[in-house]
Amino acid sequence: MSVLACAGLDVRIAGIRVVDGLDLDVRPGQFWGLLGPNGIGKTTLLRCLAGLGEPVAGRVLLQSRDIATLPRKLLARHLGMLQQHTAYVFDSSVLQTVLTGRHPHLGYWQREGSADIDKARHALAAVDLAGFEKRSVTGLSGGEARRLAFATLLVQEPDVMLLDEPTNHLDPRHQLKIMRMVSEHVRRADGSALAALHDINLAARYCSHVVMLFGDGAWCAGETGAMLDESSLERLYGCPVERLEGRQGPRFHPAEPGDPGA
Amino acid sequence: MMPTAQRRLLFLLLALLSAASILAATAIGSVNLDAGQWLTALREPASAHGELVWRLRLPRAGAAWTVGALLSLSGCLMQVLLRNPLADPYILGVSGGASFAALLGMTLGASAAVLPGLAWGGALLSIVIVFSLARGEGPWSRTRLLLTGVVTASGWAALISLLLTLGPDGSLRGMLFWLIGDLSYASLPAWTVAVLVVIFIVCIGMARSLNVLAMGETTARLLGEPTRKLLWAVYLLASVLTATAVSIAGNIGFVGLIVPHLMRLLVGSDHRVLLPAAAMFGGLFLVLSDTLARTVLAPRQLPVGVVTALLGVPLFLLLLNRARIKQ
Repeated sequence: MSVLACAGLDVRIAGIRVVDGLDLDVRPGQFWGLLGPNGIGKTTLLRCLAGLGEPVAGRVLLQSRDIATLPRKLLARHLGMLQQHTAYVFDSSVLQTVLTGRHPHLGYWQREGSADIDKARHALAAVDLAGFEKRSVTGLSGGEARRLAFATLLVQEPDVMLLDEPTNHLDPRHQLKIMRMVSEHVRRADGSALAALHDINLAARYCSHVVMLFGDGAWCAGETGAMLDESSLERLYGCPVERLEGRQGPRFHPAEPGDPGA
Repeated sequence: MMPTAQRRLLFLLLALLSAASILAATAIGSVNLDAGQWLTALREPASAHGELVWRLRLPRAGAAWTVGALLSLSGCLMQVLLRNPLADPYILGVSGGASFAALLGMTLGASAAVLPGLAWGGALLSIVIVFSLARGEGPWSRTRLLLTGVVTASGWAALISLLLTLGPDGSLRGMLFWLIGDLSYASLPAWTVAVLVVIFIVCIGMARSLNVLAMGETTARLLGEPTRKLLWAVYLLASVLTATAVSIAGNIGFVGLIVPHLMRLLVGSDHRVLLPAAAMFGGLFLVLSDTLARTVLAPRQLPVGVVTALLGVPLFLLLLNRARIKQ
């Protein structure tokens, strides 16, 4: 049974067609990559799948229920999203910020209990922010803030993780680490993920499936091995892409049109 | 997050200081009472000193504390609503409507007793204007609310200037005191305390939602908040707090801006700690300011708004500077 699905989904933004008639069926254990050039509407599509924006046509289903009809609090217990940017206007501690991930699980007057605080500390340690609990969020580096946002998503414990460029600002080791943690998440019961990515190789290595947005509403989706090849990637990004065989599977190198061999 | 023990200690300290400031305010003034006279006055409300303490100073100190708490809470809410630490209770025009109505009443010779009612009416009119113009269809728009509020406030300011220009000379002083904020004639009607208590309880209940809201509307929605409803609720609560404060004391400045700020610097931005701390510190701060306003040039009385600004500005700059050094 699918965790997150959509059928005949038409999404537009400012007159631009993002997808026409998108059919997706995200099942437990699947990690989807969302690929496409800048400004093609990846964030818009993610927002729509998270119930933040309205599709022009079609519905988004979370465990077979239309997300437009679900109360936000219930939705937030099953679906979480890492946004592309996080800006902090008010100062707050790292621990207090990561604990906001427990918000949908707590009642009106309820305070975070020791179990919640344990989860928060555990998530901070998982993203290498142990010991940062009392630090101010406004003093974090870009990569640290990114890992804090991911830790908050972990603490929210959603079934479906939507991630908008999760590896932005991260050093190579942490890029791999975050991708591995998402892979571990989808192996749990009902766990699945969909991540907008610009790194073809991260998608090739970690994603079980990919969906590509070509512009003007055109899209294609399927298993990563079948989808990622030189011709589709060249069509996607408008530049030649060279395929190399690496020890962890195929590697893709974007090239300039004049490069030898391109 | 502040540890529970530390939080309780802070609340206890602020509550004790608040009580002490109110008691001290009943002993100090143009006629200073020593400990013996003061205790006698407390026991004998009918005596001359008793009248002074029970009928004049205690209601005034209570009004000062309540107004300080109302304005500080409202400031905290406005800052989250507009997601701007520079927002204050008056930014969206509530106080402008209240002031205009009160000043119009003074110009037309209305008695002092009806001024709070007039002010509340003006505030309500302003709330309705801003709410209906800013609401509209589509998603919540902070920019639209801010622009509508600020422009409405400017409109009220123009009308107030007109009244000051055209008004009779005899009422100018009263009008000026109202605009600066003054507690000389303030009493403490029970309904203002009820407004404070009820809204405070509601706010504490939604404090965790306010924490999430402070991180932005999208983040709040993703964490399960129906933000459109929540934001309008915050707007209405903050407006009612402001309207209540202004109706009994005029436009006392700086308290609603500086107290939330000071408390953010001291206790952080968890609203479960910030809101009670800001409310109590705001009350304490205004009682002390008003006591100074009564005594510094005694027997002349200053409008308390002058004192809050004179005290608040250096205090604020000092703390801001210390916070920067700590970082």
